[in-house]
Amino acid sequence: MAFKIDTVLDEQVARMTLVGELDSLSARVFQTEIEKIANQPIDYLVLDMEKLDFMSSAGLRVLIFSKQKIGPKLSIYIVKPQELIIDTLEKTGLHHSVTIVDQYPV
Amino acid sequence: METKSFPGVVDSLDSLRDYIGELSKRAGLSKKSTYSLKLAVDEIVTNIILYGYEKVGLIADYVVESEITDEQLTVIIKDEAAAFDPLAKELPNQEDLAKSLEDREIGGLGIFLTIHGVDEFSYEYANGKNCNKFIMKVVKP
Repeated sequence: MAFKIDTVLDEQVARMTLVGELDSLSARVFQTEIEKIANQPIDYLVLDMEKLDFMSSAGLRVLIFSKQKIGPKLSIYIVKPQELIIDTLEKTGLHHSVTIVDQYPV
Repeated sequence: METKSFPGVVDSLDSLRDYIGELSKRAGLSKKSTYSLKLAVDEIVTNIILYGYEKVGLIADYVVESEITDEQLTVIIKDEAAAFDPLAKELPNQEDLAKSLEDREIGGLGIFLTIHGVDEFSYEYANGKNCNKFIMKVVKP
């Protein structure tokens, strides 16, 4: 399924809605979106993943890249990820570095 | 045994995952096993395309061979890149996985997810081809 990403910037919050499947091809689009906001004073990156059906390690690498590019004070929230994506985050230990929530603002 | 060929480009990953989904459905795999197999195959084929083909300017296909029995689904990916054994690579250990995002290495998670996602994974180099073999067991209700 085709990947789509929508970004809304609201002061220090960047909210991205990810739809479809995030693989090594679509991760390039995701990374470009992150690069576009990287020079903004962002404190919170909110990723709405309710309609994201698949995420490979290429997607995980963009999460790592986001934190390394934007800076250590960035908080990453993942909103409503599907169960199998939570499983990937847990297996790779990334769930310790992001906050998984049902809605944002929490 | 069924065989299907795909062009060795990242644009093929979408249809590859659809095909793996179709095989999994025919084999009667659960939703979770289907997802894990799709993820494992996607990770290995991504490495083949990016590092085995694109990086060295090789234009070639890769082939998916599959076999369904009552007990399991076997998928073998064969490619023409230089020999590369994914199992020879050092995988992230518990200490690496506990690191914060700031201190993480960017790579290494794909093969980790492959090995930890399928029931069996093996590799061999035979007849000038890399053969990555994935097995998922069918759990009877």
